[in-house]
Amino acid sequence: MTCNEFEEIGLDGGRDASVSDAQRTAAAAHAASCPRCAALRNSWQATRLELRALAQATVAQNAPPRVEMRLRQKFRTQYHTPKARRSAFVAAWGLAVAAALVGVVSWVKWNNRQQQPNHVAVKANTPASNQSSSDQNAAGDPSLVADNESGDFTLLPGVLPAETDGSAILNVRMQRGALGALGLPVNEDRASEWIQVDLLVGNDGLPQAVRMPE
Amino acid sequence: MLLRRAAKGDEEAFALLYRHHQAALYRFALRMSGNSWAAEEIVQDAFMTLMRDPKKYDPSRGTLGAFLYGITRNRVLKHLERSPQREVPLEEKNENGAGSGIVLLDATTPAIQAEKRERIEQVWAAVLDLPAEFREAVVLCELEERSYEEAAGMIGCPIGTIRSRLHRGRALLMARLEILRDAPRRSTVPSQASVAK
Repeated sequence: MTCNEFEEIGLDGGRDASVSDAQRTAAAAHAASCPRCAALRNSWQATRLELRALAQATVAQNAPPRVEMRLRQKFRTQYHTPKARRSAFVAAWGLAVAAALVGVVSWVKWNNRQQQPNHVAVKANTPASNQSSSDQNAAGDPSLVADNESGDFTLLPGVLPAETDGSAILNVRMQRGALGALGLPVNEDRASEWIQVDLLVGNDGLPQAVRMPE
Repeated sequence: MLLRRAAKGDEEAFALLYRHHQAALYRFALRMSGNSWAAEEIVQDAFMTLMRDPKKYDPSRGTLGAFLYGITRNRVLKHLERSPQREVPLEEKNENGAGSGIVLLDATTPAIQAEKRERIEQVWAAVLDLPAEFREAVVLCELEERSYEEAAGMIGCPIGTIRSRLHRGRALLMARLEILRDAPRRSTVPSQASVAK
């Protein structure tokens, strides 16, 4: 083994796995016979001891706790802030959608309420029939129609409250005495008096309720 | 597993990862830079990189420790490029104000302690005087006592390169320390050839 070879492989401290046992033996033999390399080995051993002392003196070193604190802070900023933002974003959209739904539902309801009387209402285009008749089905001049309010009708005696869908409101002119035929009490003194009456006529064509606008 | 949890926002998993790896990375950065502030920044930077983009780590290419070491190493080399002047760790105070990064565990008396500290500081200064690539080989193989194979794997070079860097690093280190020891320099030791003459 030459001095250069010794310098390459003789000072590895056994950490170079590529150096064989035979090479190590040869290096040891060379150091025993070469004063320069022996001095080099001794010098390196002294240096290595000092390096180990340095290694030991710094082996307990850890990053200060503030590094972990800072990293945790940044971790929260990175992961939690966007999460919170996302949640807020989702919540805002949720609220907006809910508000829109409430608006739509309200409008639909309102619209239904608006349409209900119109639906109920029919334009009666049958010609006026006898106004003095006690037949409630042919009840007078059906010029109209219904206004939008069907709530102030008075149910006729013997009529049960029922759905008004499909019902029609007829505005008729009749003699007061004809109300008696509908089961309503009539002042006999004014029986011949002509009055305007709204009749709520059911699907079966029979009056269900009556309203006197005047 | 921890990294996957951390990537999903699990802070405790990230903290566990940090605690598991920080000491080795910090020691490497400290021994390479000789500056505890720089080492602190470098370690923080390495973990920030992992935090920002955990997908950068590819398990098929090595361990997470090796990945973090690679980042730390790059940061250290950049730091050394930016501040090529050796930074003396001796004047620095650590977080507790207890002095430099050197902790003597077996010092008996204050005088011995001071003497040992001084010597260790000289050795450290000599290590910090080495060019970065030699220093890295010395830090990995002599201070961290890693095998040549491990060191080569970490640096990403052939074992022969490590051997050669160590050889040159050792020569420079010994020359420097022998001057400090007042010991005869290698060059003064007669070579075999001259003895033969």
